[in-house]
Amino acid sequence: MNDFTDIEDELKKLQPRLTSSELLGRIERDLVDLSDEKIIRPDRFRMNWLSLGIGLAAAAVVLLFVRLQSDHPSRPEPLVATNSPVPATRSTIAPAAFIPEGATQVVYHTRDEGLHFPGGSQEPMRRVRSRTRETLRWHNPTTGASLRVSYPTEQVELIPVSGQ
Amino acid sequence: MENVTTHEEWKSVFSQLAPGLVLFARQWVRTSADAEDIVQEAFVKFWRRNHKIDNRALLYATVRSVALDLIRRDSRRARRETAAFADLEQVVEPQFCDENESQHALALAIDRLPHEQREVLVMKIWNELTFAEIGEALGISQNTAASRYRYALVGLKKDLQPQ
Repeated sequence: MNDFTDIEDELKKLQPRLTSSELLGRIERDLVDLSDEKIIRPDRFRMNWLSLGIGLAAAAVVLLFVRLQSDHPSRPEPLVATNSPVPATRSTIAPAAFIPEGATQVVYHTRDEGLHFPGGSQEPMRRVRSRTRETLRWHNPTTGASLRVSYPTEQVELIPVSGQ
Repeated sequence: MENVTTHEEWKSVFSQLAPGLVLFARQWVRTSADAEDIVQEAFVKFWRRNHKIDNRALLYATVRSVALDLIRRDSRRARRETAAFADLEQVVEPQFCDENESQHALALAIDRLPHEQREVLVMKIWNELTFAEIGEALGISQNTAASRYRYALVGLKKDLQPQ
């Protein structure tokens, strides 16, 4: 107990005036507007990071593939441009995810650099350098958004020359 | 930080806090309508910054900040409010409801308190903040908040003593 109990009790008997009924409605309207803003902004943010992540992952896979191909020479194909069909795995992907739509490889320059003996090889090999541009495309059927990653590549092929 | 309170929860929380918040805001303005405008702006600002609703010290600090900003923004209004503080007996609207004669005298005595004591009293009695929360909201120590409260009660008792 303190000396102020009586005055504190008197003070607590005083009731603040009630707020107007409009105040709650006004704040509610402001908060609804605010929540609309909040819904849009994070989604846009996530979309950008998702796109960036998929793009970087795809680029890394393709670079790895190109590197492996250049390490294991094969017979050159007279391929100038290819277009891959849509993969059949579309139905297994989550609806919110991007699905691959196709890939294009355009060879825009090829140069025959002649015969070489790479790595102390006893047999000559023909070295062909080609420059291409590869484009990968994804599509999100839920949002209608599409994503395209395009990058240049340079490929060196060593072709065994059959001895006569 | 994500605001953990849903839109339905804020209504019940706000309904409980609203009379005390408006009373708190009334210290800087002369009408309930102006005080409600301050509370509205402060509450939305508080919500926009994703503060937790149970952080009452910050909520009252926001109300205080909005009220002071409002006064600074409008110099004519500031002069009016200064005049109001200087002439505290001239209360335009009663701040409390259902007052009898003794309660009316008490309400007038509250208005005559120094401003820094009255705001601590309002936060403590009608908003039930702890001294720690009051200190945090006002940027003062817990002990200073308790001292101001004690001075306010002493002042009221003295003011209400029969001459």
